[in-house]
Amino acid sequence: MTMAESLPAQNAGKRSFGRAAEGDIQRLSFTGNGSEYFGIWIVNILLTIITLGIYSAWAKVRRNRYFYGNTVLLGRGFEYHANGEQILIGRLIVFAYLVLYNIMLTFVPLVGIGLGLLMLFFVPWLVARGLRFSARVTSYRNVRFDFVGGAGGAFLAFIVGPVLAALTLGILAPLASRWSYRYIGNNLRYGQKAFSTDPALGRLYGTWVAPAAVLVLGMLIAGFLVFLGLELIGSLQEEAEASTVGLEGVAILLTAFGSVLVYSMFGVAALIYHAGVRNVAWCATAFDGRHRLLSDLSRLRYTWIAVSNLIVTLVTLGLMRPWAAVRMARYVNEHTGVRFEGDVGELFSQITQEGSAVGAEFMDMEGFDFGF
Amino acid sequence: MAFDGTTIASGEWHAPGSSRSLPASLVEQAGRLVVHGESGGELAGGILHSIEISPRVGRIPRRVTFPDGSLFETEDNDAVDRFLAGKGRAREGAVHRLERFHPRLIAFVAAAILLGALIYRSALPLLVEVAIAVTPPVVPNIMSASALETMDRTLLDKSKLDEARRNRIVEGFRRIASQSARGEAGYTLHFRGGGALGPNAFALPDGTLILTDELVELAGEDTEMILGVLAHEIGHVEHNHSLRQIYRAAGVTALIMLVAGDIGSGVEEVLVQGGGLLALSYSRSAEAEADRHSVELMMKAGFDPTAIARFFELLETKLDDRGGASIFSTHPSTPERRKVILDWIGAFDERK
Repeated sequence: MTMAESLPAQNAGKRSFGRAAEGDIQRLSFTGNGSEYFGIWIVNILLTIITLGIYSAWAKVRRNRYFYGNTVLLGRGFEYHANGEQILIGRLIVFAYLVLYNIMLTFVPLVGIGLGLLMLFFVPWLVARGLRFSARVTSYRNVRFDFVGGAGGAFLAFIVGPVLAALTLGILAPLASRWSYRYIGNNLRYGQKAFSTDPALGRLYGTWVAPAAVLVLGMLIAGFLVFLGLELIGSLQEEAEASTVGLEGVAILLTAFGSVLVYSMFGVAALIYHAGVRNVAWCATAFDGRHRLLSDLSRLRYTWIAVSNLIVTLVTLGLMRPWAAVRMARYVNEHTGVRFEGDVGELFSQITQEGSAVGAEFMDMEGFDFGF
Repeated sequence: MAFDGTTIASGEWHAPGSSRSLPASLVEQAGRLVVHGESGGELAGGILHSIEISPRVGRIPRRVTFPDGSLFETEDNDAVDRFLAGKGRAREGAVHRLERFHPRLIAFVAAAILLGALIYRSALPLLVEVAIAVTPPVVPNIMSASALETMDRTLLDKSKLDEARRNRIVEGFRRIASQSARGEAGYTLHFRGGGALGPNAFALPDGTLILTDELVELAGEDTEMILGVLAHEIGHVEHNHSLRQIYRAAGVTALIMLVAGDIGSGVEEVLVQGGGLLALSYSRSAEAEADRHSVELMMKAGFDPTAIARFFELLETKLDDRGGASIFSTHPSTPERRKVILDWIGAFDERK
């Protein structure tokens, strides 16, 4: 979970407000293309390898500048302002902490465990900071975004929520999603104006049904396969005299196939869920109380694009990754929009930047938002 | 004022902190960079080195930020590049020039693949060796103690072997352990009931060896066979196989993390999973190393080095049906292993 989820700048619904006239909805577009990004991408990877990873911070900046800059609303792109040094410092701090933590864990286990707990304790604070960083290094029309959420909200949205969702086998996942979208949406600012979001739990559960069904189906199939495999092995044990290497191979294959199936079912369910929840949450979000956001991804198409992107990327040994990334960005942007109330020119002539939002006193603490 | 500069590019200008934009043009005038509005008045200006021009990325708009915080944005990247080149600042666009779509990129792809493979095949093993060299002995001790405790609580039971049987094995074990590099003191042998693990033997990185009753029963009266297996496990310890595997996994994860942003979360996930499969192939070569070690130790201790090959044969005939639960699972196929072992014994005899 990063800012990418919450900015009208990227990333991945099917609920629009009926069929609104497209006239007053301004959709985002994506003006980048695969071949142009290919160059940026391969140079990023090459320089990252040559510099033993140090360039990866600058690579991130160039990648984000490309994707933000080509995300266009009303003829103007977004802009990403972080610089490589900021990101490198953040990465080095995370890296140094991990090294220290591991060393302590081996020499003075108690201190190591203490450090680990300390890290857990700081996670909500680090998440909030990371979101603030991502917001503040993003601008549109010379005005930066800002994020004012605190550690308490992050704790609820990114620790309590996921834990609850996991403990209830996903039954409470919509509640967790509601918390995280409310945390991000209600704390996001642009200029001096606020975003507000309140996705209805009923609608979130409405979009949760399909992925839940996919999961249950996947589990049933996997369960059947495991049963079949066990039966096979059982029958092998009975006739241990015969050479049964072939059959054993079959059992192993079946197990492998079963785990791949479960894995992809999880992935597909997550994608369907993600797209559906995004639609619900974005359509329940407004800027400055009047301008409503819109997301109308087709859940099936979104999932298909993600899955086929992965397959194409793997089959081409990564070479089609730039094409895949651009394809996804284009689809998501074209199904994201804002419905402005009143005169757009008027609106943007009033929005100004609060000076405080810019500065080098914050840095990117990525790595701490892993695994959420 | 007289308009006597050269126009560089046209675009939009924002007052500091304002989202309102005015059509404007960027002009070089008397050694300064100036933004002119449509009416020709100066909106902002400054000397070149006080002005920040964003590095070029693809075709996204170029940002020219003035000392007063105002911003000029233009789509005309080429014009800005030409202007900078004229000022001897062409070097700044080097990365962008590398990124342009050009046949040269094919060479970059090849170089990335080559260097990546080089890091994976040589730099990574080297780093693993360095890490093992600097690992203090307390690390494997802690790892092993907690692993043994965990297994005792979950999988293993108390051993039910009779004393005589046990003593025979321990005595032979001492003989082979004293031939090992760590010496007899470096190893402790524990007997356990295998429970779900069935006939099995495994080594923990600090030299703790665990042998299950089921394996002893399987071997019947052939104590040498058991010793062959134990010598194989000693081989795992001597070669630091488990630490190596951990460090390798950490290194592979680090490599994947570094390019994660460029390859997307789906591919990252697949790579991490694939790393697990690669670890499996690594474990096969580790098995071969341990087999060889077994042969050497057994010969040095004056036992029959083919014992371990006999053990594999036994596994093949008796244990086909326990594929998942025997030590058979991660191991190379048996006939091939036997052949290799016999070859080693031959080679060994010649050297003497």
